[in-house]
Amino acid sequence: MNGVTFGERELRAICEKALTAADGDQVEAVIVARSAALTRFANAAIHQNVVSREAELRVRVVRGTRVAMVTTDRLDDEGIRRVAADASALAAIVPDNPTFGGLPADTALRTAPSAFVARTADASPLDRARAAKQLCDAARAADLSAAGYVSTNVQELAIASSHGVWAYAPATTSDVELAALGDAGSAFAQRTALDIGTLDIAGCAGEAVGKAKAAQGPRDLAPATYEVVLEPYAVRDIVTFLGSQLTGNAVEEGRSFVGGKLGQRVTGDVTLVDDPFDAQGLPRAFDLEGQPSERVTLIDRGIAKALVYDSQTAHRTGQRNTGHALPPNPFQPSAPMHLRLEAGDRTRDQLIKDTKRGVLVTRFWYTRWVHQLRTIVTGMTRDGTFAIENGEIAYPVKNFRFTQSYHEALGGTLGIGSELALLLPGEQFGLQLSSYRVPALRLGAFTFTGATQY
Amino acid sequence: MLGSVERDLARRALDTARTRGATYADVRFVRRAVEDVLVKNGHLETVDRSDSFGFAVRAIADGAWGFAASPILTADESDRVAALAVEVARASALTKREDARLAPARPVTATYTTPIEIDPWTMRFEDRVKLMLDADAAMRHAQPGLRTTRASYEIWREEKLFLSSEGADIAQTLYETGASIAAESVGDGEQQIRTYPGSGGRSQNTAGWEYALKWDLVGHAPRIADEAVALLTADQCPQDINTAVILSSNQLMLQCHESCGHPIELDRALGTEAAFAGTSFLTPDRLGSFRYGSEQVNIAIDSTRKGGLGTFGFDDEGVPATEGWAVKDGIFTGYLMSRETAAAMGTVSNGTMRADGWARLPLIRMTNVSVMPGSAGTLEDLIADTDDGIYMDTNRSWSIDDRRLNFQFGTQVGWEIKNGKRTRMLRNPTYTGITPEFWGSCDAVCSESEWVMWGTPNCGKGQPGQVGHTGHGAAPARFRDVHVGVVQ
Repeated sequence: MNGVTFGERELRAICEKALTAADGDQVEAVIVARSAALTRFANAAIHQNVVSREAELRVRVVRGTRVAMVTTDRLDDEGIRRVAADASALAAIVPDNPTFGGLPADTALRTAPSAFVARTADASPLDRARAAKQLCDAARAADLSAAGYVSTNVQELAIASSHGVWAYAPATTSDVELAALGDAGSAFAQRTALDIGTLDIAGCAGEAVGKAKAAQGPRDLAPATYEVVLEPYAVRDIVTFLGSQLTGNAVEEGRSFVGGKLGQRVTGDVTLVDDPFDAQGLPRAFDLEGQPSERVTLIDRGIAKALVYDSQTAHRTGQRNTGHALPPNPFQPSAPMHLRLEAGDRTRDQLIKDTKRGVLVTRFWYTRWVHQLRTIVTGMTRDGTFAIENGEIAYPVKNFRFTQSYHEALGGTLGIGSELALLLPGEQFGLQLSSYRVPALRLGAFTFTGATQY
Repeated sequence: MLGSVERDLARRALDTARTRGATYADVRFVRRAVEDVLVKNGHLETVDRSDSFGFAVRAIADGAWGFAASPILTADESDRVAALAVEVARASALTKREDARLAPARPVTATYTTPIEIDPWTMRFEDRVKLMLDADAAMRHAQPGLRTTRASYEIWREEKLFLSSEGADIAQTLYETGASIAAESVGDGEQQIRTYPGSGGRSQNTAGWEYALKWDLVGHAPRIADEAVALLTADQCPQDINTAVILSSNQLMLQCHESCGHPIELDRALGTEAAFAGTSFLTPDRLGSFRYGSEQVNIAIDSTRKGGLGTFGFDDEGVPATEGWAVKDGIFTGYLMSRETAAAMGTVSNGTMRADGWARLPLIRMTNVSVMPGSAGTLEDLIADTDDGIYMDTNRSWSIDDRRLNFQFGTQVGWEIKNGKRTRMLRNPTYTGITPEFWGSCDAVCSESEWVMWGTPNCGKGQPGQVGHTGHGAAPARFRDVHVGVVQ
């Protein structure tokens, strides 16, 4: 296979060496490897341009209910031996964790669509620089400045355990991001593809530049509760926050808005699915413990239906593991990693046309929980906020601060876009683990609690 | 400390970069060891050690920047990575508008090691864990509503070797220790949290294990758990009012980080973070004249101060640690700079470039950006001096716009102040404001005795993302006429 850093055979050999070298009742070896390249531009010129090759081996050793993990990025024989020995020695002295349910068993994996495209893996620095130039030139032609990046990423994930687990998946991603900036207004666009050959660079440039021209000279609009049309970039934020609460662990800790509400209506008529086999996303058949990831309908037309689980939370709570483990960590042991908010029947332009008076939001910025249990989030709008009047984009407005319960906002869903945008959240635990496919949304009420002067 | 093997590979990489046409190059070898331990609900939940070792080459060729990194420590890989950095630089030149320029920096040969009292890496593992088990247990006395308790630490050792084509040769070993406890409560549609000594993750310093011991986690654990439970039934903080607010030392730390530390990053001010982190309202034309805050407000940039997470010998461009001012008597007076951004300003770098490990490019990062103490005495003195207001303690929520003007923070707990006395507990306190107006309303900062060097080991910046470790000293301070509460 072209472009991968190691390949399945080599990674399996490394994992097997680690399993053999470790001394424990149960042993797990996980390798995360990637070659990542990111060409960053600002003021319409490339100013940061990086390529890195990274690989790390994590060995988890279990002795009874004593568990320890050690990670190294030395993948030669000495590095493997040492990390296995360190994890084994540590597992011998750590205190018991009686809640630990053991490493999960070997379970057959379904085949997921391939997420690997060789020409993305083979992209050169010059390929990325040319894409950056295309974006910068498009902005400059409209008397705008440009900032953003072009990125290509190839990664491999391999998981093995003494229970016979073996899982391997290579993947590629490419994405571009452009903020087109004028003297008095800016706009943002992003495109993502597994295959750099299909990456819509021109579409990204056209969207950001076109919207930035319309965004110049924003007016004041009093903060209040408005009907909104959210571009997919903003919808991604809502899906991210709500998705993080649709886990067994979040309910176990009493911080989820669906705690005690499975089977009940929690939003408007939206359907949120975690679909690891979505060929249009970033498919992967297994989680970070090598367990088969299931397609889970989390919210079905507004009704809270199910949660995702990792092996340990499933063990503690008596539920079935759905195969959504992140790398072992005490704060978020599981997550839906392939979220799709199902498409509706309205184009983005129709959503705007359906709005008599409201606000069009391109994206949110610096969003943080204010009250997790009530899903209240605060943040800003950014890079293209407009007033909608009588079904048309009327004029740009200065950015707002919002403070809003996200699931309550979805409770007022008035329209759902018919096209889904593929968006990536950025790397987690050294990998592109997750993808989102989300539409534009029209919501009946969204509360803006402050404003800026730009 | 890294030695001759790495130095030989670094020299080889510099030679290769020069041969390939680089007009400037530097090489960083970084070896980072980290141990994270977390006790949750009485049990050891996580023991996670990592050892990361690799190198990176940064080069200027054809007037543009390139960067490449690898964990493979061989001569061949040294050649490959150096050549790749130059190839990347030449590709960058495709969009070049002007040649990259670096402000002068004297190349030095030097070493630096964090001064520590108790080396956490040589003490018994069991002793470290016992402190966390004891602290967690001390939170778990029976009380309805307490749902989750956590006690955690992180110890960190980073060995760095920096060589440049200008002749710098700098080896450093930096130590960090952080620790915290947290209690979460749930009941009646409420979820509350209290943490100690800092917010969210950990408070961390460049220090040895003495830092974990100094906070008396076990002694404070019962109070933290009790407050988490008490918050479930505490009165809601008043909504949509303007009043005096006293911020705790650890909340003022984050206020400083977000509304001063980030906007004084010169890369932001010059637009190179515009698509992601954003820009800054502190534009270069405002340097030296803009009133950032009241005359009570003095904010230092100081990478020499003991204990801060921004304390080191040299930054990742080989520039020595410095001390200076971001805000003096309320006037904006200084940026955090790199050699390249300093050149754009016609000055020299104050040494703030740091990378998150070997695989990432150095960026301008906060060093220790600290609100310096005033003369308002102790926290209790300041409360006694306040007729009507709210004392807000320990961050829970934080958000600020992309120019660092419009912010909204929430704290874990509030206390009503009436006639100079702390009265009832308030839950879900929030406050919001515009940065220079807010700092302009500061009329008192507590004295040196209340000043604490806090550390935030979780500052995100850059693409690809990097996590920075920044230091912030602060003492409690009072702000007048602050907008409190969010209309829902």
